[in-house]
Parts: sequence; structure tokens; C-alpha cells
Amino acid sequence: MIAQLKKKKWTHYAIWFIFPAFLLYTAFVIIPTLSSVYLSFTSWDGLSSNIKYIGLDNFIEIINSPRVHNALKNTLIFAFSLVILENVLALLLAILVDQVRWFRNFFRSIFYFPVLMSGIIMGFIWMIIMNYNFGVLNQLLDMTGLGFLKADWLGNPDFALIAIILSTVWKAAGYYMVIYLAGLQGIPQELHEAASIDGANRWQQFRSITFPLLAGAMTVCVMLSMIGSLKIFDQIAVMTDGGPGFATETLTYIIYKVGFGELRQGFGTALSMVLFLLTLVISLVQIKVLRKREVQM
Amino acid sequence: MKKKVTANDVIVFAVTFVIAIVFAFPIYFNIMSAFKSNGEIMRDAIAFPKGLYVDSFKYLLTETQYPAAMLNSSILTFSSIIVMVLVIPMAAYAIERTNSKWTNGVFTYFLFGMMIPFQVYMIPLFKQLKMIGLFGTLWGPILVYISGSVGFGVLLYTSFLKGIPREIEESAEIDGCSRTGIFWKIVFPLLGPVTASMVVLQGLGIWNDFLMPMMVLPAGQAKTMIVELFYYVGEFSSRWDMIFAGTTMSLIPVLIAFLSLQKYFVKGVSSGAIKG
Repeated sequence: MIAQLKKKKWTHYAIWFIFPAFLLYTAFVIIPTLSSVYLSFTSWDGLSSNIKYIGLDNFIEIINSPRVHNALKNTLIFAFSLVILENVLALLLAILVDQVRWFRNFFRSIFYFPVLMSGIIMGFIWMIIMNYNFGVLNQLLDMTGLGFLKADWLGNPDFALIAIILSTVWKAAGYYMVIYLAGLQGIPQELHEAASIDGANRWQQFRSITFPLLAGAMTVCVMLSMIGSLKIFDQIAVMTDGGPGFATETLTYIIYKVGFGELRQGFGTALSMVLFLLTLVISLVQIKVLRKREVQM
Repeated sequence: MKKKVTANDVIVFAVTFVIAIVFAFPIYFNIMSAFKSNGEIMRDAIAFPKGLYVDSFKYLLTETQYPAAMLNSSILTFSSIIVMVLVIPMAAYAIERTNSKWTNGVFTYFLFGMMIPFQVYMIPLFKQLKMIGLFGTLWGPILVYISGSVGFGVLLYTSFLKGIPREIEESAEIDGCSRTGIFWKIVFPLLGPVTASMVVLQGLGIWNDFLMPMMVLPAGQAKTMIVELFYYVGEFSSRWDMIFAGTTMSLIPVLIAFLSLQKYFVKGVSSGAIKG
């Protein structure tokens, strides 16, 4: 009886404790997401008050549009190259910071600092560095006698995508480094000592001790960097605006351009459903993989 | 006991040092260029500034809307994180301590939000903000930032709350302390480290955000620092000195926050990653 009363009192408080967060989250995340699902079946322009239902037309257009295919292709190129490059570099940085004898915290801060920058600022700095006439990169190439390699890095469709990828790797690697570093510091020192007594060299130790024990951190980093790469927006906005042509247009960028530039918000929301689906699949795989790992441990 | 310096130590240090130069160069380049005149930047991008040229800072602070944008960035960042800290830990506490079917349901409902990228709901969101009259006000972005961080925040707080024993709360309850009193006087202070991590990570995200303030804040007035910088890249396309001065001013608060709260930046990343 008393326990029941107590429970009731608890529930009463819990409702009021949860209510503000629940209200805001429902009003500004869930309701617009549901409206997005609805709008994806319409030809709404974002301004007029009559919203016309057009069934699956938007999705059929997605399947047939070469511009969307190109954006999806760019998104996949981004995702794969960013996942690989960011993780390889982050792991290397984590190992270096873990091993280095002097100024360890200083180096960690240097590698982490780009994470703190907004994509707009980072994009601007790299845009200037890669400028054809006045940029540092071409100036350095000239100074070192490699002038024949000079290029208009962001104005050339062949290089623009690579330029954005490399600057994004520079910005994001420090974030994953922190996660790998936490993983490295969780590996008991005894394992390395025992291995070196058995005569294993550094590379063998890395391959059979460090690398397998970092699997958990790696799963997390791969998933996070994949979802992160789908959301890239700011640096594209400032560096290329999706160009030259459509060379650097990604899924998130095309949603913005179609929705606000071309006033085709129905089509924009249909594209956002594709983004939603991609994120959902990656997140569900992530949860599954992480659960499995927990069971094994 | 001090270990002897080996050749390996020196090699690792040299490699780390070279990579650190590559990492630090763009930031160094930015701050250095802020103190050069436009002519100096164009003539020789790498060269060190000849003197301390501060005219671009003066111009930005007196002739443009940049100071108003700085104020907006600060208002958005601080108001959002204050409300977040009022609303989110309370919800997480009720969910974790009640631990009944319905609170677990609410928990799953909140977590679902972490899987929805902003671009998925931004188009209807702007229309919705117009409908309720929040479009063009600072309240719009603030409410959206708070709502968007509920999933991540609740996850961070509930996992930390699991490690806090209930005994203290129970004895306080017997002493006649109300739930609200127990939470704010006893539990909330214990949540300090999570609060710090959430504040620095979300604060950074809001300070650096671009898309939402650009779309939601009224045209023709100052928006946020980041949005103004984006416009300057278009407007002052040949006045790089101005933009470098602006980026430097936006980076300095971040740098100060990072250097003084470094621990929480790092902790927030690793705990959020492992749980999320």
C-alpha cells in the first residue's frame, strides 16, 4: 500500500520533470520530421498555401534524375574516402601522441584544435590556401621548383572534390584521435611487456595486440565518421557552392539548393527522406554491431 | 627513474612534430594574415606581417554589423545552453529513477531523435516557425537547438546517473525534502562533469552553426558571426584581410574556452562516442 502510494507520487513528479523536454522535442523535431514525410508526397513550393498531393512522383524523379544520381555518387565518394582517411590518420595521430615522449598534451591540443572550428571558417582558410593566384599551396609549389603541379584546386572539377575531402580530413581527424587515444590508454601495459619478452617486435605487437583491442573504438569511429560525412555542408557552401557545375554537390547540399534556391520544397523533402533512410540504416547497423560486441565481452 | 632517450623516441618526436606543423599551419596562417594589410596578403601569402596592421579589426568593429553579430552569437549560445541545463538533466533524472515502462518508452522516443539529421526536418521546420511567429527572432533557433540536443543529452545524463547511488536521495526524502529540492540540491551538483561536457560540446556546436541562423534570422540585420563571415566571403571577395580579422575574432573565444576547459572537451567526446 505504502509502496504503491510512493510509486504514484513518483510518477506524478516524473511527468513534470520530463514534460518540458518532451514538449520541445516533439514540437521542434518530431512534428517537422512527420511533416517532412507528408510533404515528400507533394509538389509544394514552400510559399503557396495549397499543397498538391502528387503521390510517388518525387521519388520517381529521384530515381530518374541524373543530377540526383551525381549527388548520391559524390555523397558515397565522400563517405568512403572520409571514413578511410579520417580513421587511418586519427589512428596514426593517436599512436604518435600515445608514444611521444615530450610535449604530449601540446601535440594532442594541436591535433584537436581544427575540430573546434566551424566548417565555414575552415572552408574559408583552405579556400585561400588553395587559391590559384595568391594561395599558399601554389606559392609553395613554385618555391620548391614543382611549379608544373600548380592548379586551380577549387575551380577544377577533377580536384574540387578531393580538395574538400582533404580539408575535411584535416578538420575531423582530431575528434576520432581522442576516441582512439582513450582506447589505446585502456590497453594494459603488461600485454606489451609480455610480448616483448617473447621477442615480438613493434609491428608484431601492433598487429596482434593493439589493433585487435582497438576494435571497439574503431567500430564507433567508423560509424560516427560515416554519419558525419553524410552531413557535410558548411565547407561546401563556402568553398565551391556545389560547383564547379555540380562537381561537389552532395545529398545534403542538393536538399538545401532544391528547397530554398529553386523553391521546390516537396522535392527537397523527398530527397531528405533518402538522407533519413541512409542515416537510419547506418545507425541501426551500428547499434547491432555494438550490442554484439558487448555480448562477446 | 628516468629512462634513457632512445633513437626511437627521437624519431617519433620528429614525425609528430612535422605532422603538427601541417595541422597548425592553417590556424597560424589565419591569425598571421589577420594582422597583414590586403596588399601584403596578395603579394606574399607566406611572409610574416611587417607590422601590426589592425585597421581591418577597427573597420569590422566600427563600420559593419559584426559587433551586433557577435552579440547574437553569444545570446544564442548562452541562452540555449542555460535552458538545456535546466530541462535535460531533469528529464534524464526522472527517466532513470522511475525506470518504468512508460519512462523507458519516452527514453527510446528521445533516442530516436539522434538518428534524424537536421536536414531531414529543416524545410517544414522553417514553415512551422513562421506559423507560430518565431521566424526572424532569436527564440526560434534557441528552441530548435534545445530540442535537437534532447536525445544526446538525455543519453549522456542517464548513463552517468546509473552510477550515482540512490541512498542519499532516499534519506533526504525521509527527511521531508521535495523531489525538486532533492534533484536541484543533491543530485544536480553531482552531475557537474556531465553538465560541463554537454555545455562545451553543445555550446561549440551552436557558436559554429551556420545553416539555421542563416535561414531563420531576419534578412537585412546582423545574424551570427559565422553567417556574417559567410556573407563577407561573397561581399568582400577581394578584402581577405577583413575576413581573416573576422575569423580570428570568432576563433579567440573558442580557443580560450578550449584551453581552460580542455578536460571536458575530451571527456565529452569519448563518453558520447562510447555510449552513442
